[in-house]
Amino acid sequence: MPSPHFSPASIRVRLTIWYGGGLALIMILFAGALYVVMSRALQDQVDRSLEEAAIAASRSLEEHRFGPFLLLDDLTQAFPELALIDKFFQIFGPQGQITLQSANIKTRNIPLSQTALQSSLQGRAVFETVRFHDEISIRLLSYPIRHGDALVNILRVGTSLRPEEEMLARLVFVLLIGSPLAVVVSMLGGWFLAGRALRPVDTITLAAQRIAGGDLTQRIETSSKDEIGRLANTFNNMIGRLETSIRQIRQFSADASHELRTPLTITKGETELALRKPRSPEVYREVLESNLEEIDRMSRIVEELMFLSRADLGEVQVASEPVQLDALVQEIHMQAMVLGKARQVKTTLGQVEPLQVLGDEWRLRELILNVVDNAVKYSSPGGTVEISLTQDHGMARIRVRDHGIGMTPEEQRLIFDRFYRTDAARAHAQKGTGLGLSICKWIVETHHGTIEVTSTFGQGSCFTISLPLLAPAPVA
Amino acid sequence: MRILIVEDEPKVASFIRRALEEESYAVDVCSDGIQGRDLASEVDYDLIILDLMLPGLPGIDVLQAVRDAKVTTPILILTARSKVDQRVKGLNAGADDYLTKPFAIEELIARARALLRRASGDSAGLLQVDDLILNPTNHEVTRGGQRIDLTSKEYALLEYMMRNSGRVLTRPMIAEHVWDLDFDTFTNVIDVYISYLRNKIDRGYDRGLIHTVRGSGYTLKLTDA
Repeated sequence: MPSPHFSPASIRVRLTIWYGGGLALIMILFAGALYVVMSRALQDQVDRSLEEAAIAASRSLEEHRFGPFLLLDDLTQAFPELALIDKFFQIFGPQGQITLQSANIKTRNIPLSQTALQSSLQGRAVFETVRFHDEISIRLLSYPIRHGDALVNILRVGTSLRPEEEMLARLVFVLLIGSPLAVVVSMLGGWFLAGRALRPVDTITLAAQRIAGGDLTQRIETSSKDEIGRLANTFNNMIGRLETSIRQIRQFSADASHELRTPLTITKGETELALRKPRSPEVYREVLESNLEEIDRMSRIVEELMFLSRADLGEVQVASEPVQLDALVQEIHMQAMVLGKARQVKTTLGQVEPLQVLGDEWRLRELILNVVDNAVKYSSPGGTVEISLTQDHGMARIRVRDHGIGMTPEEQRLIFDRFYRTDAARAHAQKGTGLGLSICKWIVETHHGTIEVTSTFGQGSCFTISLPLLAPAPVA
Repeated sequence: MRILIVEDEPKVASFIRRALEEESYAVDVCSDGIQGRDLASEVDYDLIILDLMLPGLPGIDVLQAVRDAKVTTPILILTARSKVDQRVKGLNAGADDYLTKPFAIEELIARARALLRRASGDSAGLLQVDDLILNPTNHEVTRGGQRIDLTSKEYALLEYMMRNSGRVLTRPMIAEHVWDLDFDTFTNVIDVYISYLRNKIDRGYDRGLIHTVRGSGYTLKLTDA
């Protein structure tokens, strides 16, 4: 696996590159602009000083009546600033021939250019920059001196551009060294900051990898409340829910396979035993009957399991229409009489108020019948089961009370759990699937109601189903 | 050979009992942990088949209690869970073997037979006293190469006596190992079955193998006389 820190796909690398690239671009633009502005300003400064010198010189010439016999000494006497060594003067005749030049020009020959001559003839001053092949650049100002319309002289002032060029060279040097340095420093800083900001992401990735490896107990440690902290918290919540639901699924499938194993053991055992040697038709018949019973039990388990898993996924359609509960209770009472007949368990109706709830009549019937059937099943022979329907604080209350075997507090706590059966229920001849009350609970909850049980071991149980009323019953 | 089945699922207990009875074993069944623990500690069984999921007292606790009471009877555990830790726990608590539900009935019988054989210190499988040979696997009994047909109870009695050949077996011992809890000890059923066996095994042979020990009971051995 490539190191996550240096692969080009890494956000950290990309952030750093973007960061450095952006800064480099800014630096280049800034340096270019700075250079241009700086060199302009310097040239302007040179030109202005040349102009001032030219004006001063021309004034001096006028005082000398434009005579061609101008002496630099006079000039420098009149204008001491002209004696500065950084400027030189030349005076050309109207045809461009040199007539006089200051001493500091020494032996250099700087002829008047055609452009300067033409401009002077037209009465315009002109700046020029001249570079001698082996020396520094010189800035020249050719300044026409006129008398009336006639060109009398051309005054030229020049100065070396060396100080300015040196200054610009220093600027370029600073920019060339400084800019890359700034970019490198900022990239290092960006790398460091991006690394710091992204470190929790690496932590999350590692945790996610461990979780992907099957360890759902992993959590990301975080104390920050920033974006990354929120991501980590969201992630932790998600894993928590995942862990819970996977544990439920595991428990559920373990329970399911356990429940199916008992009927399978019985059918397999009975069948193998019967096949060990020839038997009478009665024995075969008994085995087949027993097997059929177990097959029915398995189908019921599978059916109810399928229902519950579809219910968990929200795939069970539940109607929502007014249901007349009193009619339903009376109907179930009749069925309960039949159910209890064999064991002489009597079912009596207590108070039954005309109440309506909103829901699925078919599911509600299943719910009440299931609870009543349980009550009949676990009643002692000759016992009674009482059903009543009353209203209380906007709720319809269906109470089913039996005087049967009852339950311990521990059992009461667990009976709505899937596949849970009390010891008595496990020993009971009529085997349940252990899913009936789980289904009841689901039906009640889809109807926004509750189901509760109170029981005394050995004395009987009372189930109370509460469902929200559709509308308050009319006051009698 | 007498076997105790501790299993709360009546139908499972029922077919195991019938299968073992067909193999001439005496079988008792009980359906909860507490009763199972008491029976296993009080009665001298030759084998206990114990389900681990029991009401009253979990199978593991029954196992522990029985072993704590110094009962060395081989115990075969039945687990509905194929989970390894259940079996390991069971074996660690003193079980000798296990079967996972659902199991094949022949496998249960074979394992029961193997446990009984190991307990009697005989690994070959065949039981032999002089020229009398008993094969527990197919219940074949021969003497001097001659096949002898026995009823299920006669076979059970002979197997018990051959496994304990040379020992004096009292009537209560025989009752405990060959008959189940329903056996009425005040009858002479044991003496009747001993005489049936003598007729089939010793009649016509010079050397009698079944001997009456006056005042005590019976023994099966080759006497030097």
